[in-house]
Amino acid sequence: MKYSIIGNGIAGVCAAETIRQLDRAAEITLIGDETFPPYSRPMISHVLDGSLSSEKLPIRSSRFYDDLKIIPVLGSRVSAIDVDRRVLTTTDRKETTYDKLLIATGADARPVVAKGVDLKNIFYMRTEAHIRSIIECLPTAETALVLGGGLVGFKAAHGLLKRGLKVTMLITSGYPLSMQVDETAGQMILAELLKSGLTVRVGTSVMAFEGKGKVKRARLSDDSTLSCDMVIVGKGVSPSLAFVPKEKIKIDHGILVDHHLQTTIPDVFAAGDVAEAVDITRKRRWINAIWPEAAAQGCVAGANMAGRHVVYPGSVSRNVMRVMALDVMTLGLVNPPDDFGYKVMAHADRRRGRYRKLVFRDNVLVGAMLINDIDQGGILLSLIQNEIPLKIPDRVLMDPSFNFGKLIA
Amino acid sequence: MKEVIVQPEKCVGCMQCMVACATAHSQTKQLYTAILETPLPKPRIHVGAGVFNEGFPNRCRHCDPAPCMQACLGGAIFRDTATGTVLIDPDRCINCASCAMACPYGVIRFHEDCVAPPGKVVAVKCDNCDQRQSQGVVPACVEVCKTGALIFDEMTDAMKEKTNAVARSVSSGAETYPVSPVFALFKASKKAQLAVQ
Ligand SMILES: Cc1cc2nc3c(=O)[nH]c(=O)nc-3n(C[C@H](O)[C@H](O)[C@H](O)COP(=O)(O)OP(=O)(O)OC[C@H]3O[C@@H](n4cnc5c(N)ncnc54)[C@H](O)[C@@H]3O)c2cc1C
Ligand code: SF4
Ligand code: SF4
Repeated sequence: MKYSIIGNGIAGVCAAETIRQLDRAAEITLIGDETFPPYSRPMISHVLDGSLSSEKLPIRSSRFYDDLKIIPVLGSRVSAIDVDRRVLTTTDRKETTYDKLLIATGADARPVVAKGVDLKNIFYMRTEAHIRSIIECLPTAETALVLGGGLVGFKAAHGLLKRGLKVTMLITSGYPLSMQVDETAGQMILAELLKSGLTVRVGTSVMAFEGKGKVKRARLSDDSTLSCDMVIVGKGVSPSLAFVPKEKIKIDHGILVDHHLQTTIPDVFAAGDVAEAVDITRKRRWINAIWPEAAAQGCVAGANMAGRHVVYPGSVSRNVMRVMALDVMTLGLVNPPDDFGYKVMAHADRRRGRYRKLVFRDNVLVGAMLINDIDQGGILLSLIQNEIPLKIPDRVLMDPSFNFGKLIA
Repeated sequence: MKEVIVQPEKCVGCMQCMVACATAHSQTKQLYTAILETPLPKPRIHVGAGVFNEGFPNRCRHCDPAPCMQACLGGAIFRDTATGTVLIDPDRCINCASCAMACPYGVIRFHEDCVAPPGKVVAVKCDNCDQRQSQGVVPACVEVCKTGALIFDEMTDAMKEKTNAVARSVSSGAETYPVSPVFALFKASKKAQLAVQ
């Protein structure tokens, strides 16, 4: 059996490992754009802030491809798939045939729409190569602008601050992490950011970048200007699927997959940030572009490709981050739609920097947000993922001393 | 292979296991000196309050597949294939708490530890006392548990024992209880205490 995997991110790597485990004789080809060994994408922010060197990024041994007898085709981009002939074409016009195919091409940083985006020293933060060019620019920069109040914007701002730059964070919405948290938490996080020495401007976006060759200023939506020597854009990601034949393989925002992670074409699978599966709490198609789901999807897709029947139950949006003194964890539906049928419990203790919010639908936990006391968050996630009707009073889950023992009478 | 088996119905909440665990993971391995160490040694087994405030000893299950391992952003969590133990490499850990978000039992904590680089907060959890076991000594929590809530046994033997106990209790003329009546009494008193409050 000839397997081809496009993308050597965590989804592609996990799939390759699973296939090898289940099919010793398989011929596995892994085509990847990046030549760096399989590495931890989230960890690139630690290289930016100087706490890690990039040699620490790889998450598999340097013998990974040899050990698993995988044929690596690195530094090569797939430009077309012919699903009828089962052939892949790369940008250097080489062709590879396959019996089963996995598309695990992840996502690209979403470009910022503004005048002057072609100026030098405007960066994205998605790959190890991006970080290298950002670090090269650091000695020449004193002030930096970070666009976006999401996870990547946070990590970028924190990293630049630690490198001694004056950093302004520009957030289009009214408070940071608006996609993940509610206003109460957003304000607590904002206060924490300001304490750390960051300048944060909410409700503002960039209209244009100005400068001679290099960026020197940004013109903002409130008509003011802000001088900056460099910019990092963290405005979210979009699935990397330009090469996918859309008349054959159905696409919505990402590549549509069924509960075996197969696309609308038999023997073609998709996993990770590029795949659009079902979100368990939202009960609809959704992409949760996060590491643990990409890893899980890679394993499930690999198993199904190797002939097992493994069901992927769907994803749950979630994130955990440490924002200075605050540990922030968000799980599932934190801001439920306004319609009835949801029960929300929330308790904030601003003085101690604590906040706990739970969202239930028909006695099933569908969302949670914790600021500090996050140790037991995994139990809550498990309740959400498995949609387990609660058999104990819901207030027990609100107590910070909640633990696994409370679930078994 | 023997492993630590938890029988929560026998736990009286004395927390001796926590003390023993912290000591076993200290530099000096002696309680009297361990409490003077920096960083202060901390337990990897956690006795939480159960439904009726009775003790509930909670430790890593060394799951296979392990959700924490799949979620680890730093590639720090791995399985020792010889023993099946899930371990965290403190040098690789980046303290991101992705594992805590994944662990369905809530057994991971974050703090400094004597085996981690000095001053670095890392994810810490049960390591099955791999050091002690390599010297032929049973895990510290089991050694001090006086009630049999924590035992070190072959899983198949423990399951057989449990099946027999259940069978005895449901067969006619049963004389022995699956669990000593003392535990039932203890739980009843905890329940009563809660009701009074
Ligand atoms: C700075 C940063 C911080 C993050 N922090 C977190 C976090 O804290 N927690 C969390 O859960 N997630 C985090 N993420 C998200 C996480 O990294 C992603 O969800 C995960 O890496 C997705 O894995 P993937 O395998 O689907 O895709 P990717 O990792 O994007 O891998 C896809 C690979 O495919 C290659 N490729 C793309 N197109 C082609 C083509 N046509 N031909 C050949 N190769 C191609 C790409 O070059 C890439 O190497 C973070 C991401 C970033 C950038
Ligand atoms: S830490 Fe939690 S998820 Fe990981 S092996 Fe232990 S019990 Fe399982
Ligand atoms: S805190 Fe450490 S062990 Fe846990 S997921 Fe992050 S890197 Fe892995």
